[in-house]
Amino acid sequence: MTLVQTIKQRLSQDIALVSVILIALITSVALSRWLDSRRPPIDPSFEEEKLYLNGNTAKRLSLGFNGIAADWYWMRSLQYLGRKMVNFEDNNAGQLSLNDLSVLELRLLPSLLRLSTSLDPEFMGPYELGAMILPTFNTDEAITLLNYGIEHNPDAWRLYQHLGYIYWQLHDYHKSSEIYGKGARIAGAPEWMAEMSARVAAEGGSRNAARDMYRHLYDESKDQQVKELIARRLMQVESFDERDAIRAALKDYQTRTGRCVSSWKDIAQALRASQLRIDAQSGAPVDPSDTPYVLVKNGCDVDLDYPRSKVPYR
Amino acid sequence: MQGTGEASALANNKEQTVGTSVAQSSSRTRIVSIALNTFREAVRDRVLYNLVLFVLLLIGGAIFLGELSGGQEKKIITDLGLSAMLIFGVFIGIFVGVSLVYKEIERRTVYALFAKPVGRAEFLIGKYLGLCLTLLLNTVIMGAGVSLALIYVSRGWDPLALQIWPAILLIYVELMIVTAIALVFSSFSSPALSALLTFFIFIAGHFSSDLKTLAAFSRTASVRWLFTALYYALPNLANYSFITQAAHGRVPGFQQTFVVVLYGCVYISLMIAIAAMIFARRNFK
Repeated sequence: MTLVQTIKQRLSQDIALVSVILIALITSVALSRWLDSRRPPIDPSFEEEKLYLNGNTAKRLSLGFNGIAADWYWMRSLQYLGRKMVNFEDNNAGQLSLNDLSVLELRLLPSLLRLSTSLDPEFMGPYELGAMILPTFNTDEAITLLNYGIEHNPDAWRLYQHLGYIYWQLHDYHKSSEIYGKGARIAGAPEWMAEMSARVAAEGGSRNAARDMYRHLYDESKDQQVKELIARRLMQVESFDERDAIRAALKDYQTRTGRCVSSWKDIAQALRASQLRIDAQSGAPVDPSDTPYVLVKNGCDVDLDYPRSKVPYR
Repeated sequence: MQGTGEASALANNKEQTVGTSVAQSSSRTRIVSIALNTFREAVRDRVLYNLVLFVLLLIGGAIFLGELSGGQEKKIITDLGLSAMLIFGVFIGIFVGVSLVYKEIERRTVYALFAKPVGRAEFLIGKYLGLCLTLLLNTVIMGAGVSLALIYVSRGWDPLALQIWPAILLIYVELMIVTAIALVFSSFSSPALSALLTFFIFIAGHFSSDLKTLAAFSRTASVRWLFTALYYALPNLANYSFITQAAHGRVPGFQQTFVVVLYGCVYISLMIAIAAMIFARRNFK
């Protein structure tokens, strides 16, 4: 066989093999898609089956790879929470309240966070997320998680900050102040911890206390997910203040004219005087998520524009 | 063939050696020659390149995994990178370690080698040191990969990139211990069995603290003695687990590191001595 014939033969073999590879790839993709479309959905009871590993067992099984195992459970926590939130929002747009996440039925979240912290007690992410999310449906688990963190990280003043926040949410301002005070005494704790302790004791339920609480949580948090949740809480507090200002302007108009406003133009001057941000097109004041407020009750009241607004409703 | 190459190198070295302590310096020279040849052969092994490349890809993948970590990229990269370094280092140490001696016997190059004035112990030590040198190179490359990944996600210098290196040192010492154990088994057993036994010891070494607990709770004196003996006989590999702490930027104390490295050296010497004793009595026929 000549060289040219050898090359031609090899080339034809290569073409045949490449064709087989391409056809096999396309066929396997098509078959996988067909199988996926016909796979029965997972029984919800299996999906939510309690984790059969406790912290000590997981530590043993990880063979010293505690850190990576803790990361695994942490990422599972995030995926679990995110999936639940997205599924709920898809079916109930705008109805998710950050104050009450019991509707999401986050049964596995406490176990996942506990496992993550058992494997790596110094891992701050799970404590931060737990402090933000768990109190909305299971305060006992939240307190247990944070106390575990404090026990294993006595120098971590941030954990006192989070535990103080949990008790503040429970309206137990005395306990919250006490915990902030304990955290303030740890070396390296910022001065505002002592200030928060005093403020919570003096005016625990006030909006200013809430604003400061969230602002400090936002500044100190290193976790992006937690920062986003806190930012939404801050927007909510800002929005309460803005709506109070708008309602004052609406009431003033009603008192002067004897009727409610027919449009935002009627109180444009008062809104500008209140230093609210105004939408150039509609003249409506905008909320912290840059969505214009809407007039409700025939112009006698104001509300957020759902589902467009990103400010939490409740 | 490696055995012939080593024999030639040794012959050249022997001719050049002068001085009163000829026997001692020759022994050192012979060990170094065997070690360097083992290293050269190991770095030419494609399996090693593939394993190191895989770990580097894994480290690169950890950067993308950071998207799912909620802002914990650095922790994920450190945990995954150092864990992969340990696991794959153990695989390299076991699978190359158990074949170090076996290959020479299978190829019959041991006959050519021991026809020269090379002691069996010198041969073993040289082989072991050569593989340790290979592991050192792999560890440094993989460690550099983790450091670079940390610098990349931090978009600039990150002190964690340096802080992980004491933990990497401990990982390297652990790999040296595992390789020494592989050498012991390979001095009398087949590669498959040696690999299996070495892996069991690696796992048992991480559970060794449980043996101490079992001994403390045992009611029978003989059982207590057995568990205590096993606890001290098995390598306490938990001493070298500093990956989780390193991910939080912690550095092991100098005293602790010194003692742990010393323990490793002593244990390795014990393993090499046992391997040399067994190998000295081995019949190659």
